[in-house]
Amino acid sequence: MEHRWGMAIDLDRCTGCEACVVACHAENNLPISTPEQAAQGRTTHWIRIDRYYEGEFPDIKVRYMPVLCQHCDNAPCEPVCPTYATYHNQEGLNVQVYNRCVGTFYCANNCPYTVRYFNWFAPEWPEPLALQHNPDVAVRPAGVMEKCTFCIQRIKRAKQDSAAEARPLADGDVQPACVQSCPAEAMVFGDLNDPASKVSRLAQDGRATRLLEELGTKPKVFYLRKG
Amino acid sequence: MDRRNFFKILSVTSAGALGGCGGKADRAIPLLVPEHEIVPGEEQWHPAVCAECGAGCATVVRIMEGVRVVDRNGEAVRERIAAIKKIEGNPLDPISGGRLCARGQASVQSLYHPDRLRGPMKRTGQRGQAAFAAISWADAIGQAAEMLAKVRAADPARIVFLGGAQAGTRSLAIQRFTEALGAPAPVVCSLADHAVEHKAAEIAFGWKGLPVYDLAHAHYTLGVGADFLGGWASPVYYARQFGDFRQGRRQIRGQLVQAESRLSITAAAADRWLPLRPGSEPQFLAAVGRMLLDAGLARKPEALPKAVVQAFQAADPAALLATCGLEEKRVRQIVKELGESEAPLVLAGASVPHTNSVDAVVTSHYVNLMLGNVGKPGGVHAPAEASEDPGNRALLASKKQPPTQPSRDREGAVVPADPRLSQSLAHAQVVLIDGANPVYTMPHSAGVTDAQARAELVIAFGSFLDDSAAWADLLLPDHHALESEMALVPAVSERQAVAISTPFVEPLYDTRAVETTLAELARKIGAEYQGVTPKDIVQPLLTEGVSYEDVAREGGIWLEPPPPTSPRPPTVAPSFAAAHFEGDAAQYPFHFQPYPSLQFHDGRGANLPWLQELPDPASSSIWGLPVEIDPKTAAALRIGNGDVVRVESPYGSLEAPAYVHPGAVPGVVSMAIGDGHSHYSRYASGRGANPLAILAPVWESSTGALVLGATRVRLARAGGRRGWTQFSTGDRQERGFDGR
Repeated sequence: MEHRWGMAIDLDRCTGCEACVVACHAENNLPISTPEQAAQGRTTHWIRIDRYYEGEFPDIKVRYMPVLCQHCDNAPCEPVCPTYATYHNQEGLNVQVYNRCVGTFYCANNCPYTVRYFNWFAPEWPEPLALQHNPDVAVRPAGVMEKCTFCIQRIKRAKQDSAAEARPLADGDVQPACVQSCPAEAMVFGDLNDPASKVSRLAQDGRATRLLEELGTKPKVFYLRKG
Repeated sequence: MDRRNFFKILSVTSAGALGGCGGKADRAIPLLVPEHEIVPGEEQWHPAVCAECGAGCATVVRIMEGVRVVDRNGEAVRERIAAIKKIEGNPLDPISGGRLCARGQASVQSLYHPDRLRGPMKRTGQRGQAAFAAISWADAIGQAAEMLAKVRAADPARIVFLGGAQAGTRSLAIQRFTEALGAPAPVVCSLADHAVEHKAAEIAFGWKGLPVYDLAHAHYTLGVGADFLGGWASPVYYARQFGDFRQGRRQIRGQLVQAESRLSITAAAADRWLPLRPGSEPQFLAAVGRMLLDAGLARKPEALPKAVVQAFQAADPAALLATCGLEEKRVRQIVKELGESEAPLVLAGASVPHTNSVDAVVTSHYVNLMLGNVGKPGGVHAPAEASEDPGNRALLASKKQPPTQPSRDREGAVVPADPRLSQSLAHAQVVLIDGANPVYTMPHSAGVTDAQARAELVIAFGSFLDDSAAWADLLLPDHHALESEMALVPAVSERQAVAISTPFVEPLYDTRAVETTLAELARKIGAEYQGVTPKDIVQPLLTEGVSYEDVAREGGIWLEPPPPTSPRPPTVAPSFAAAHFEGDAAQYPFHFQPYPSLQFHDGRGANLPWLQELPDPASSSIWGLPVEIDPKTAAALRIGNGDVVRVESPYGSLEAPAYVHPGAVPGVVSMAIGDGHSHYSRYASGRGANPLAILAPVWESSTGALVLGATRVRLARAGGRRGWTQFSTGDRQERGFDGR
């Protein structure tokens, strides 16, 4: 395959400011929950900031960690889907085909990162909020599962632009919304097949680690620990 | 949008190529997008300005086709419009560097908010009931002008304009309007104008404006009281600086120690956190200064006059640190590391102001002088406003006035009420409000609501029917910032800079720019008002060969920073006085700290669903903000996580869910500002409690800033968990719902 998309997140830069979370909502037409739906745990955040406290006052540490679909090479969500709604594409993305999904929930049950979100309700945007919707991204109906796509629409747009200019894709041409927004520049996206790409170099860094690596899921999101 | 792409788009525009079918259609042009130029599926990018806080980040806005349904003669008609899809940072802007915070990105939701005011309105019910009916612009302006003319003729001092903290076309227009009417200067009515930090920079260095901290090049930073990664002066700028401070250099990883009375997101990002007792920042910094002098680590003690050095030498570190609640040995170690660092920096501010916060920030400047980092890489730099360039008067004029008359008398720190606000409002007959929501941001005890109720005419210019607008007689809604022509002067910048936006989408509703409304009012009254445009503010900064149109196309102008100059030597000796707190410590044993958060700021973000859904960084709560209580206090009062707790001050009480915060300082109760709006759209009205409402009317004496941290409270459990949700916690039981 030509590309193998991956991400590096430097936890030493990350401040937990959640700019990435709003960027994702704006880019991907994420449904807005009501307080009642939120109370039932029905909110949707393709990327979320997990927050951990370690130790006790006054020697307490806070850890913030952006968690999104890890686009595993060995994705536990894929083999369990009876309708092939979730599959691995040519570029290593773990892709969800909404109109195949019948909502069995098997994929979400099998995801160790709990990054899959089910549309329990038909999404509603009181007029004229929907004017903000990104026409590049489909609005999902009730009854289907959804999750981070690594902003596949941005990957396609970058490819179209580079093709129009008759040049190969350069490192940094593709930036998912979360990566683009990050004020501390904690997130880097790129092609893991290109050994010179920034993400490939960061993946080799001594601080790099992967989430729940021991499960053998082979995630393509690399976390660089603090320090 | 990255820098390379943005440049590419600019070059397409300047070459005059207008895209079209088959070509790359995205381009940045500061012009209105005509309907026939909207090609389905194709995007355009336009420069704009983020007006959510005073940081003045330049942005770029993605525009694509949108369809809205409008009512035409009772018939629903679908109309194609140029719709804004996304907001990103402008890569040419050295402040945002192409990045943007959560609030800036969410501001598109206020443009397309279902509860935005759609035209001028007139009160029909009692004040405060928020009953309004539509009225024509001609009638609205006529009624407003009539009353303004009457009051102006009798006593123009009774016309009061309450404004926000942003400096730019708007603040200049309001200033010119009040001058034209002979009314008092507008009152900056904001929690986010950083009056304390401004004042301290003026006292210590003679600078007018916020000091710029070169965090990215510092090796060791001691943060004191400034939540600079959270809701402080310029969150995107400091987050970018922080990223580079940590990992932007090959061999150096910056070390951050944060001394603060709350585990803010800055304290969370720090290597070590020193939990200070509230209001003990000056004592802590005095001890730091003394220790540096004693250890011979003050590199430039000669930068300080004798009186200042003597004040530090008279400080007793052991006694001072005991009042801060800190262990002396630990602080000594940190001071040693700070003093020995190649590029040390003390970054102090007042995210939660106390009565002695000006002393704290002044003392921090003296410690920086001692460390010899002023004007040096990794140190403290002068703001652009310090420039004496005479060609830049328009820019200086647009900078806001200090909120109160300057006063050097800092002896009696406690003033019963903000002298200027209360004096102006006490006899106000006409109150005009733009960019402020005083009924929400001022404590009930300050009497703002009473003053609005007493006034003969209250005019609100905001886009939403908020807490203050509910007490108004006329609503004259402004265009949304994304529909406006505006210039903003960034709050934190060592360069002379202006971010500008020219209109590129048609206003959605029957709204009018405040500048237009003011000009119309002045014309009707017969006052000589001179309008203001972004061009007026940019003109003095234009260099040869650069036109205003160039600046408009790039979204702003950012000049090269001037070479560093030495600040004038300080003249005022520091004071390490203790902070004053309202309420008897026996009856009200806890300190209360409402704080501006990253997502809601001074409460203005609460009307946006994206921000309501954004988990609070401390408690991970969504759609509701909790009171943060330490585990020992919670256990003693039998308060469990999520229980409803009653917080009572001598000036009022509130009920809110409790978050038992493992990092809360014992005896200190904190709460993010944002909930508790009486009116502020379907997403915020009547939701939760406003922590500002129960504060004592205590104002920092030299600036008039509301002292957020001066109120003592008592706590009691008021009931079990009711409708409070946490999004993500380590302990699933803590979440309050099962099955995820």
